[in-house]
Amino acid sequence: MSNYEFFKPQTVKEASDLLKNDGYLALSGGTDMLVKIKNGFFKNLKAVVYIGGLPFKEIKKENDKVIIGSGCTMEEVATNPIIKENYPTLVEAANTVGATQIRHMATIGGNVGNSSPAGDSIPALYSLDAQVVITNGTSQRTVEIKDFFTGPGRNVLQAGELIEAFVLPFRKTTGRFMKLGERSALAISKINLAVSAWEDNKKHYRVALGSVAPTVLRSKKAEEILENAAHPLTEEAIQKASEAARETADPITDIRSTKAYRKQMAGVLLRKALEK
Amino acid sequence: MKIIFTLNGKKVEAETTAQMTLLELLRQNFKLTAAKEGCGKGECGACTVFLNGSPINSCLKLAATLNENDSITTVEGLEEDKLMQRIRQSFTDEGAVQCGFCIPGMTLATHHLLSKNPKPSLTDIKTALAGNICRCTGYRKIEAAVKNAADKGE
Ligand SMILES: Cc1cc2nc3c(=O)[nH]c(=O)nc-3n(C[C@H](O)[C@H](O)[C@H](O)COP(=O)(O)OP(=O)(O)OC[C@H]3O[C@@H](n4cnc5c(N)ncnc54)[C@H](O)[C@@H]3O)c2cc1C
Ligand code: FES
Ligand code: FES
Repeated sequence: MSNYEFFKPQTVKEASDLLKNDGYLALSGGTDMLVKIKNGFFKNLKAVVYIGGLPFKEIKKENDKVIIGSGCTMEEVATNPIIKENYPTLVEAANTVGATQIRHMATIGGNVGNSSPAGDSIPALYSLDAQVVITNGTSQRTVEIKDFFTGPGRNVLQAGELIEAFVLPFRKTTGRFMKLGERSALAISKINLAVSAWEDNKKHYRVALGSVAPTVLRSKKAEEILENAAHPLTEEAIQKASEAARETADPITDIRSTKAYRKQMAGVLLRKALEK
Repeated sequence: MKIIFTLNGKKVEAETTAQMTLLELLRQNFKLTAAKEGCGKGECGACTVFLNGSPINSCLKLAATLNENDSITTVEGLEEDKLMQRIRQSFTDEGAVQCGFCIPGMTLATHHLLSKNPKPSLTDIKTALAGNICRCTGYRKIEAAVKNAADKGE
């Protein structure tokens, strides 16, 4: 292991100033970071900046929004009453991250910050129209989740910027998160899919697919088919939406799975999600 | 650097480096060797300890991240714990232990499960132990031991 330094800042400003230095990386739950450090992934790691002391740990409802602090663990997200009541897709997604021990450490900000196209909370956040609140200790900016990622492991964060929270429009949704991996616990998704739906004057659907492209994708075509279909959904509508999801998928072949299989599974997972 | 935290109910002070994991700190500085390093990557659960009452992989936690109000509990700290005594007895009765390497982690994961869900289904048991790998037993006996410990809790 390299000889990096360790900092435990108490304010966002302090953390942000440290993170402006070359080779200084943020550490939250550490479940991605420690594995990468041990694997020698970082060639230029000078310091680890532990952000667990920052005030990013709250989940609260504010007017027509729900705010999820980036430092909340998957366990905290999955067991929070506001989230359980309104966002079942996110609960299911958080509950599939690793096993119990990992879920008590892994944070939602770390999952998004890591920016893997296989990150399980990400399609769920897409399906809930999440916004990402970014801070540098003095000012904030907000981007839509779909604009946050720029490629596998890459995102719009500048040196010194941190994810402070995720903001979801407050609405009562239904939905499902589905994931296919080698085995149920501890699997990196070969493909994952989130569907969320809600109703005002009309039905709204969001279908988001992970691990099928360099970043998570929404299948707008599938959403449109579902929104315009009669309810309860007919077999024909489900079939059409599944085909649309398959067409949206633009996967790669890698050690975890082939391209043809992933495309096929995108359709199958959507069908399963809708049938349940 | 110096850290202060609560270990098995007692306030302790320790000297750690930036790179040291909690697992290394427990084993090297405190000679608490129940938690073990299997994979070092969060996959096997042999290093499981409680942080503020919840199970974590101590191989993925830097010791330096511990705060003064953090409390770590290892198997050694649960000698007098009634639930842990019952779990240990059940593991012995069911013959769920072979080499023993995974057992501290298994029994802590079981403790967490039963303290939250005293009457778990087989699926609950499998889910709760999904982060703990055993290369000896084939899991059937471990599952039976957890069930047995739950039944004895009535
Ligand atoms: C055994 C095992 C199983 C796993 N299983 C799954 C799984 O099933 N599904 C899944 O999606 N993931 C899985 N993971 C990956 C990992 O647990 C998750 O990605 C987790 O959410 C990362 O959160 P963390 O707090 O541990 O992040 P860290 O490791 O602390 O950080 C991850 C990255 O995000 C950055 N970061 C952290 N917080 C912030 C912030 N607030 N602002 C900006 N950047 C930030 C860090 O600098 C780093 O680059 C698994 C990991 C392990 C070891
Ligand atoms: S040693 Fe920590 S999970 Fe294997
Ligand atoms: S008893 Fe040997 S690893 Fe479980």
